Amino acid sequence: MNTGIPAIVFIAVLGLLGAGLYALLISRHLIKVVVALQILVKGAMLGLVLAGRASGQIETGQALALTVIVADTIVAVVGLALAVQIRRHFNTLDITKLTTLRR
Amino acid sequence: MASTLVLLAIGLPWLGALLVWAVRDQRPALQHALAVGFSLAAGVAALLLIPQAGTATVVDLPVGGSFGNFTFVADGLGVFLTAVATVVGSLAVIFSVDYMHGSEQLGRYYALVLFFIGAMVGLVLTSNMLLMFAFWEITALCSYALISFYNDDPKAVAGGIKALIITQFGGVGLLFGAVLLYAYTGSYDIHQFLQNPAAMPGNILGLMAFGFLAAAAAKSAQFPFQTWLPDAMEAPSPISALIHAATMVNAGVYLLARFYPAFSPVPGWTTAVMVVGMLSALMAAVMALVASDLKRTLAYSTVSQLGYMVYAVGAGGIFASQFHLFSHSIFKALLFLAAGAVIHGVGTRDMHQMGGLGKHMPLVRTVFVIGALALAGIPVLNGFWSKELVLEAGEHGGPMWIWAVMVFVAGLTALYTFRMVWMVFFGQMRGKLHVHDAGKAMKTAMVPLALASLVSWLLAGPFSAMLERTLPAHALHALSTGEMMMEVISNPFTLVALAAVVLGLAAWWWREKLAGLAQALQGLGRAAQNSFGLEDINRGIVRGTQQGAEALRVTQTGLLNWNVVGILIGLAVILVILVMGA
Repeated sequence: MNTGIPAIVFIAVLGLLGAGLYALLISRHLIKVVVALQILVKGAMLGLVLAGRASGQIETGQALALTVIVADTIVAVVGLALAVQIRRHFNTLDITKLTTLRR
Repeated sequence: MASTLVLLAIGLPWLGALLVWAVRDQRPALQHALAVGFSLAAGVAALLLIPQAGTATVVDLPVGGSFGNFTFVADGLGVFLTAVATVVGSLAVIFSVDYMHGSEQLGRYYALVLFFIGAMVGLVLTSNMLLMFAFWEITALCSYALISFYNDDPKAVAGGIKALIITQFGGVGLLFGAVLLYAYTGSYDIHQFLQNPAAMPGNILGLMAFGFLAAAAAKSAQFPFQTWLPDAMEAPSPISALIHAATMVNAGVYLLARFYPAFSPVPGWTTAVMVVGMLSALMAAVMALVASDLKRTLAYSTVSQLGYMVYAVGAGGIFASQFHLFSHSIFKALLFLAAGAVIHGVGTRDMHQMGGLGKHMPLVRTVFVIGALALAGIPVLNGFWSKELVLEAGEHGGPMWIWAVMVFVAGLTALYTFRMVWMVFFGQMRGKLHVHDAGKAMKTAMVPLALASLVSWLLAGPFSAMLERTLPAHALHALSTGEMMMEVISNPFTLVALAAVVLGLAAWWWREKLAGLAQALQGLGRAAQNSFGLEDINRGIVRGTQQGAEALRVTQTGLLNWNVVGILIGLAVILVILVMGA
């Protein structure tokens, strides 16, 4: 197998994680936050597959990645459902205004 | 046989607790009967267990994993405290039949009392350190729930929470010790550890020793943790008798006595134990001298007498400490039950309003005076013999100046005891109180305790023989009752201690002539009424915690982006640590 591929995948992992974290830091819109989380988790997933290959335990890495896919889907669904409810109750999706749990 | 009895002594009170709780509060007569029946049955099981005392593991429940085996050993120390907990406990339950008559929520009351007694039995019989910690915490929880039994009274709730928080400090010390024991020996077995304490490195053993000292001091209300016990007086009087005589505070002394062989070589430990005992005994005696609440006076006297027991353990007098614990649990249970009868009869705890009550409740007066004489250490009551043994152990095993302080405290004990008896039962009534005499169940509970205060010291011989036979690690030597008597009587220091007691009595007799001295000591009295500033320290800690929490509140912004920044910073820190460690 071409030795360049792991390097490319590694750069992709870093890129996805960086993009996800950056989006999570700057975005104020709840839907965008969910999207940013998705990007972040995709990076982590790819990282698991890469780690499995690097340590010679491809099956473990792939099994973990599959688990993450399932969990991540649930996160997305619940996050978006919450976003819908929040839009109905507070009439906003700006997360800086959602501070009723603070006190 | 022994294994069945061990399981019965723990299981019967717990089963009774479940049943009392299950019959609901609509049937109070059945609840009274169930509670008395199950506590008495547990007491009988505990008494039958005494001849079976031995060093062997009698119950071994494999739990697996890192919990080890849940083992129980019925040795002399455990069997003795089991008997104290269940017998004195069942007398407190019998007393409750009158005292709690017509109260609401009897189910909660009796269930907690029985659960408390069972947990105490488990605590003293188990030889698994982790299980011991579990029982230790159950007793703390029960004491909290019972102290704040009148949960619509804010003072009772505050007292209960205070007891819970302070004893938790001690619980942390015990858990710490248990985890260290497992980490270094791979087992929680107490007896293996006692036979070979050298398996632990010296500095770790020192950590354990002082952790256990903190645990014992918090549980037994010793300096500097003694403030919870007087506040626990908001509980119903039988609960005070239970906490002070049968369960709870005895656990700390038990812990020190149990682990004495392992910890005595730790440098400074025995001295620290003796100093803790001395400070508690002295401060509590002075506080008892100025208290005006009948139950608070008794609570301070408990702290003071527990100080004697802790001092005896520090001086190496394991038998003396346990013998004093035995005497104390009898006369203190008697004093608390009699005080409960007085409080129930007049409806106040303020001694300044009492006086001359002896005419109205002659039996209560008689038993209270017997208990008070034992507390003051007057021959030939049980308190005399055990206190002299404690002082003798201190004379052999500790520095002379601590011994001198303890003798002085013996004089103070006599002084505050007679002040209390006089203010309650003799002279003229100072307030306008309506008095009614104690009920039948109350008297049933008090009379056996009064008789036991007179004669329990005759058991010294068999008791010390049992301890010698079943505690090989403690290297005790048995004394027959006659030898014990000879040793006490022939010791010239006994006369010194007796002289201190008589001086204490004389100080009360000539209190008017000593008014000048009392004037001079007024500042000390005021400091004692403020519990020597320890309450201020407690309040300071509470205030500091609250202010710290308030100050930390600004970090809770509720903004997601800041939380993500926090996560990133945490990740960076972990990466840096990993890179530096690699």
